[in-house]
Amino acid sequence: MEGMILVKDGDIASGCNELFKGFLTSGRIEALLISRETPNGKMAFPALISDPEKLGSNILSPILPVSEASEISRMTINKGSDKPIGVVIRPCQVRALTEIVKLNQANLENIVVISMDCPGTMDVNTFSNMPEGKVPTDIIMDHLLNGTDIDQYLRSSCRTCKDPVPVNADITIGLFGVDLGSGFLVQAHTESGERLLEGVKLEAYKGEREKALAEVRGGKDAKREAFISSKKEIKGIEAIADFYDKCVNCHNCMNACPICYCKECIFNSSVFDSDANKYVHRAKNKGIMKMPDGALLFHITRMNHMILSCVECGLCEQACPSNIPLMDLLIPVAENAQKELDYYPGKDPDEKLPMVVFREDEYRSVGEK
Amino acid sequence: MGEFEPKIVGFLCNWCSYTGADLAGTSRIQYPPNIRVIRVMCSSSVDPIYVVRALMEGADGVLIGGCHPGDCHYINGNYKARRRVVLLKNILKTMGLEEERVWIRWVSASEGQKFADTVTEMVDTIKKLGPNPIPTRWDI
Repeated sequence: MEGMILVKDGDIASGCNELFKGFLTSGRIEALLISRETPNGKMAFPALISDPEKLGSNILSPILPVSEASEISRMTINKGSDKPIGVVIRPCQVRALTEIVKLNQANLENIVVISMDCPGTMDVNTFSNMPEGKVPTDIIMDHLLNGTDIDQYLRSSCRTCKDPVPVNADITIGLFGVDLGSGFLVQAHTESGERLLEGVKLEAYKGEREKALAEVRGGKDAKREAFISSKKEIKGIEAIADFYDKCVNCHNCMNACPICYCKECIFNSSVFDSDANKYVHRAKNKGIMKMPDGALLFHITRMNHMILSCVECGLCEQACPSNIPLMDLLIPVAENAQKELDYYPGKDPDEKLPMVVFREDEYRSVGEK
Repeated sequence: MGEFEPKIVGFLCNWCSYTGADLAGTSRIQYPPNIRVIRVMCSSSVDPIYVVRALMEGADGVLIGGCHPGDCHYINGNYKARRRVVLLKNILKTMGLEEERVWIRWVSASEGQKFADTVTEMVDTIKKLGPNPIPTRWDI
């Protein structure tokens, strides 16, 4: 099921808000998890909204302060929802959600996933410190209507987005390949999506969606490729150590990551606890030892644990207090590792995680001479 | 200064490789003394963190020893360990760190000679590679 929803004066945000309001008032969903700008307009957070009058959402607001997938995990990890809940999340977060369901960290029972073509998001600080007269939503709208280059405002992971079009959502809000002056596209991909859209007045869609999507995806792919090849010089122990040397072991990147889910992370455990004698012994190895130690160990281990499921949302980079451009390394590492194990995170909900399956006849040369 | 003698940390599985190493000892098979053996219950229980930590703390190479494919005491742990090593080596390679320092090999409980040969081969290879450059940075 698909069709256009017409809006007055090209006000896409209000049109979407009305659509979501209809979902809530129809009683087909009990609540909606959706990003909501705070009263001063300088920040936004996912909000779980049950009262249609309190909705006030702005789907174009370009900010992703926390992982929406993690919030769905928070709600459903122990028990699936008894009543239908709608969640409006970005494409990277749909991919993250698909991955954390595989990791048994979220339950999609009665969850209707609504996503949108994503023009990208800004860093929290860029968003809340806009120069006088600049409105983030207007910048995004200008980009969608006129194709203006907005890369200077976007987070690096959004500039090089792996896929700005949602896959595995129940409902997609289409913004690409659509005459946004007249309205936006709505597509239901599943039964639960169609049920939610019942009774919504849809006009016939006339446009070349596939062509537009291929163009947007092609543009992002090219930027991602150029990004990866521009980071080739971060190689070898000197470059890698320099890259991470601002790390203060705060583990914010790990906490912000939708994929890193362990409640008891080995880095917060007592596994590597030691006493003064042992520290001195270790210091004597090199004659000098950084305190606290283990920043590089942390980053390489984290990669080993999460990189195959990394959806490149870039929330780790946004959370870093030392402004380490973490994606500069994570994207090339993810690209190579996922290629090696032939896995695309977030694509196929039925495909098993690469680290839980194996084939007897694979990688023979790794275990033999 | 004499010739460079590599330090190798070996994580050997209880059921095959460790017993194979034991056999090498009881059979008085000679092999280089560069390896420090840590017994683990299964090659798949070696989280990459222990391999990476060994490399950062001064090991020049890490050997993970498991049962031959199909012979794992826990049915398929060695296949999973192999995938983990593939991933770890891939990550190290992308970062320009020397993946050749991480080895996984299958040694059964009856293969004392193969254990000795594997260690000899690894020591020779790492001697050619030279000392591990990672510990030269104190600020990691």
